[in-house]
Amino acid sequence: MENVIEIKGLTKIYKALDFWKNDRVVGVKNIDLSVEKGEVFGLLGLNGAGKTTLMKLMLGLLKPTAGDVKILGKSIDDIEVRAKIGYLSELPYFPKYLKVREVMDYFAELLGLPQRSKKARIEEVLEIVRLGAKSDTSIKGLSKGMQSRLGLAQAILNDPDLLFMDEPMSGLDPLGYKETRDIIIDLNKRGKTIFFNSHILSEVEKICHRVAVIHKGFLIDVQPMKTAMKKFGSMEKYFVAKIKAGDKA
Amino acid sequence: MRRIAAVAEYIFKQSFRNKILNVLILFAVFAIGFSLAISELAREAEVKMVVDFGLFAISLFAFLTIVLSMTVQLFEETELKTLTLIIVKPIKRYEYILGKYLGMMMTVLMNILIMLVILMLIVKFRGGEPWDIKLIEASMYSFLSVAILASAAMFLSVVTTSVPGCIIFLISIYAMGHLTIHLKNLADKTGGAVVKAAVDLIYYVVPNLELFNMKDKINSSQALFDLNYLGLVLGYTSLYIIVMLVLTSIIFSRKEF
Ligand SMILES: Nc1ncnc2c1ncn2[C@@H]1O[C@H](COP(=O)(O)OP(=O)(O)OP(=O)(O)O)[C@@H](O)[C@H]1O
Ligand SMILES: [Mg+2]
Repeated sequence: MENVIEIKGLTKIYKALDFWKNDRVVGVKNIDLSVEKGEVFGLLGLNGAGKTTLMKLMLGLLKPTAGDVKILGKSIDDIEVRAKIGYLSELPYFPKYLKVREVMDYFAELLGLPQRSKKARIEEVLEIVRLGAKSDTSIKGLSKGMQSRLGLAQAILNDPDLLFMDEPMSGLDPLGYKETRDIIIDLNKRGKTIFFNSHILSEVEKICHRVAVIHKGFLIDVQPMKTAMKKFGSMEKYFVAKIKAGDKA
Repeated sequence: MRRIAAVAEYIFKQSFRNKILNVLILFAVFAIGFSLAISELAREAEVKMVVDFGLFAISLFAFLTIVLSMTVQLFEETELKTLTLIIVKPIKRYEYILGKYLGMMMTVLMNILIMLVILMLIVKFRGGEPWDIKLIEASMYSFLSVAILASAAMFLSVVTTSVPGCIIFLISIYAMGHLTIHLKNLADKTGGAVVKAAVDLIYYVVPNLELFNMKDKINSSQALFDLNYLGLVLGYTSLYIIVMLVLTSIIFSRKEF
């Protein structure tokens, strides 16, 4: 199988935000990981473990201190690669002075969607995330969960081959969980790869093929979902056991 | 090209939805108020004063437009972190910078045109000649000076991290830009080597805004039509803008989000 994500020796050390910027904070340390085409990959970890850092490194939003990332076989700086990925950030914010439809149009232009089908595609995606009725509302008039839905909408706008999601379910209502899950499953059925992190273990259990645990910046475990479930019985037990083992090491 | 246009369009929309147009209303009130206040003077002198003051107001309010537009953008980018979702899209970082700059230029151009029309109406109402080429040319010089200032503002926005800091810097550049040439003349005549070097440094880094100041030339008949001068100013302006935008793009492409 071909690897859509290949990470080698990836390290990010932040300068701390103190005045002299002398302190150093470990974001992630020495990470090796590959994700195959067609996988749904779930990354677990406590608050501050390094999940967002790892994702931003893969997306080129952060520059690595050391190591190397290949996305779809190339560097993420290649705009051909970026045209084929989708990203839902942790807390999605949008250009405040636009309406929902205008935001989507802006992003569609940046993605270079074909002019002919652009409009129909935007309507379609807004229907999928159940924001169709809000397309003429301005961003200021959206609830928090609606903003998350819009985040999801822009992430799948270009029907990406590889989708990154940083806590896609946070802020959603229970129906939103199911809808997000359905979107992930549908994309995956069509051969797309999804990399996401989440604290909602019951959802991870339902959709992931493979899971990994990151702890204090180190990737301490990677295994197929089936193996983990067989061994530990539930994602929660798996996660707690791995974190405990990680603390001891 | 399409991506640059998309960014420019957004910045343009953003400026207007943010009521940057209010600056224009302020201008109109200002200019009309002034032209009424001086209605005691003789007609000749009065039209001349309206023109002088109007052109000064256009250049000042064009600058204010940039300050406001920059503040709005910076606030959105830093406080609301809107950039992450945009920067992962297939747009090159320099394309984003260019789009933003063009968007700001569209905003200023539109503002200056509207202000010019207001000024022409007042001049006409006061019995002057509204289609005086000097008005149009002086406004064009104002636009060029703001184009330079906006490129400096773009640079400041990627090197400073705080919104107030950036705005204060920008206003200092505006003030210094009008002073550098006088400072340089003074230093050349009287200063020691160190002072001269320091003043030279400022002179070449800060844009020389007096180049665009038509106040002294507007009333002499030929000076404004000097093609050599226009060529010099255009050359200086383009060079300064290109250097600023290139530097801005380089720093911006190293930025983390
Ligand atoms: N810009 C930054 N400057 C300095 N340190 C940072 C910065 N961003 C993150 N960190 C630090 O890096 C570590 C990892 O943070 P990260 O945001 O990746 O965690 P996370 O796993 O996404 O957590 P959460 O579940 O809360 O989202 C933390 O210790 C955090 O304090
Ligand atoms: Mg996070």
